[in-house]
Amino acid sequence: MMQRAVHITPENLLKSVQFKEGDLAKIAIISGQPQRVFMALEKLKNPIRNFSAFGYTFWTGKYKDKRVTVGNGGLYAPDSALITELLCVAGVDYLIRLGSCGGMREDIKIGDYVLAESALRGDGVTKYYVSDGFIPYADKELSNKLEEVFKKRVHRGIVWTTDALLRETKELVNNAISKGAIAVDMVTSPFLTIAQIYKKKATAILVVSDNLITGEIGFSSIRFFDAEKRMIDRAFDLIGVIDE
Amino acid sequence: MKVLFLQPPMGGWVTWGRHIAINVNHAQLAANLREWYPEIEIKVLDCRALRMDEKQMIDAIKEIEPNLIYMGDALQTTGVAAIHPRYKNAANLIKKVLPKTLVCVGGFFYGANAEKMLKETPEFDFVISGETEVTMPELAKELSKKDPNIPSIKGLAYRENGIVKLTEYRPLIKNLDDLPLPAYDLFPMEKYIGFNYVKHYVETYHSRGCPNGCRFCVGWTNYDPRGNRDWTCYRFRSGKRVVDELELLERRFGVKWAVMMDEDFNVNRKRIEELIEEMKRRKLKIKFFFMGRAPYFLRDKDLLKELREVGFICGLFGMEAVDEETLEKINKGIRIDEVEEAVKAFRENNIMSVVTWMVGFPDDDEWRIKYRFERLDKIDPDMAALQIMTPLPGIPMYEELKSYIVDNDLRKWDFQHAVVRTKYLSKEDLGRLAAWANREFYSQPGRVQRILYHKKYHPFCRLAARSYIETTEAHEQAAIKNEIFV
Repeated sequence: MMQRAVHITPENLLKSVQFKEGDLAKIAIISGQPQRVFMALEKLKNPIRNFSAFGYTFWTGKYKDKRVTVGNGGLYAPDSALITELLCVAGVDYLIRLGSCGGMREDIKIGDYVLAESALRGDGVTKYYVSDGFIPYADKELSNKLEEVFKKRVHRGIVWTTDALLRETKELVNNAISKGAIAVDMVTSPFLTIAQIYKKKATAILVVSDNLITGEIGFSSIRFFDAEKRMIDRAFDLIGVIDE
Repeated sequence: MKVLFLQPPMGGWVTWGRHIAINVNHAQLAANLREWYPEIEIKVLDCRALRMDEKQMIDAIKEIEPNLIYMGDALQTTGVAAIHPRYKNAANLIKKVLPKTLVCVGGFFYGANAEKMLKETPEFDFVISGETEVTMPELAKELSKKDPNIPSIKGLAYRENGIVKLTEYRPLIKNLDDLPLPAYDLFPMEKYIGFNYVKHYVETYHSRGCPNGCRFCVGWTNYDPRGNRDWTCYRFRSGKRVVDELELLERRFGVKWAVMMDEDFNVNRKRIEELIEEMKRRKLKIKFFFMGRAPYFLRDKDLLKELREVGFICGLFGMEAVDEETLEKINKGIRIDEVEEAVKAFRENNIMSVVTWMVGFPDDDEWRIKYRFERLDKIDPDMAALQIMTPLPGIPMYEELKSYIVDNDLRKWDFQHAVVRTKYLSKEDLGRLAAWANREFYSQPGRVQRILYHKKYHPFCRLAARSYIETTEAHEQAAIKNEIFV
């Protein structure tokens, strides 16, 4: 039988990649999509590579005299949980998530932004961290600042996180809507949950790629690409107003 | 004698969005006419640029009352053979209201098929065989005489008592520097727009032919087949003369981006060196694009940095196929590693790369097309211009390909519709695979962001890329659902 309490801890993992305290910045901008990571990376001055774990790589550099870490924070709930926890243990205090989502209100258009206030936990990973009634919240102050730097319309509200993109059925979607959700993604729940457990300030901004009510799909539309680019620019504007 | 250069209402390549370019063939012919026969009155009506519909076109022509109307292109990019139904329709409408006005066409597509096209198109009075630059002005001059001697004009298909006749072969122009610069001043220069977004845009044409002579190339159709492989007889304006033209465009017309449509601009290294030197000396700001061959770009790799500095922001070279057997069959004369290296060299010098490739060779099946795509994807040019095999009569491969033609509606002969089948694929399958490849290329994470937003590339290039990405759905409509765009 296994004798240890946990097989692998975040500390074990960080040790295995030769992490040392202070390697990462206090502020991290993370995204699931590799192209967003590379676009964010281009904004850093003299970025140095920190480590790669399970194919997720992080770099730290300077943006307007502030140290910032950027990297791939996971595409789905399980890997997002893993990476978020690693970052929290590695000393990151401010976590800014750049994601994408499907709008669940007719007025939420492709290329709009959703700022998560809290998450509806439809994922499978957070139950390993918190009890059923736990509600993950974004940091209000950080989210307010993020909303301020976005000049374009931002929809604030609850984000439903699911593990099953192809099982967003009418019943499940309408159930989430009835609980106040305005958008769906596959990451926000574990991201906010774990940041909250570690008492870190986290915010998640999501660019809208499709709409579940109208059926519109825009994963490859220019509106989506342009909004994705603006989202990265604005996230860096936020760094300027964070008091570390 | 009043000559009208007419560009009738028409669209363009779907992937280029709203793209309204000057007809550079018209601008050159107008300049020649003006210099050689100044007594001839010249009028220009570019309905595409002026956004005129057919009724407005006819009203305008009635007001002008021309004796001779010329329509034609030097460039395949106007719409390949899909220009013909547009010109035929315009001629038909004109003849209804001005039956005495003569209509002449020439240039791309017509050059190699003059006699045939005149026989098939009663609306036309003349079709120029081979190069238009001398023949068309001579025709206008001859028609201005009381008793014109049409058979004396070389390189012309005409009718005599209802019978179509073809005059003697017209030899090629020897020195392009002898031609005046295109008469840009006669055209609505402020109306032209490139790739949906780029204003102050112009297309230019500084050389003729290509020494390589790829067997599929539609450039052959500019030339009289009675010549001695005229398409491969490469002639060019000197680097100095090219810069004279760019200087005129920048200083007089405020042009900011010139897309040089020479099929093969970089054959001669000395010419490129001269262009760089002249651009530097005159401190021009105009940006430019040209098409060339990958081996020549590699030969001149050491010039790329300077080229970029003097305004070369984007360039194109052809790949077409990836396997040696096909490359040999089409006489492409390149190796794939050269394409790969040229893409790399462009990127190192912040020059956006565009690579052309093709589908629709007789042996193409799904595996071959997807293998070709995978290779292209790995080479990773910034942009890929996909052409579906369009076997125009006049290209060397025509005889071999004609049994594969399954759609004779020339409105679709624009590289973006499938008009052939292959040994293994129906026309529909080929169209579907073309749409698949185009979408797959322009939805690749990382590539899309690089070509849309990376500041190493000039904004004009990024806007052109935007047009390609925005039109992937429309391209699908052309390739799969036969929607007409030209």
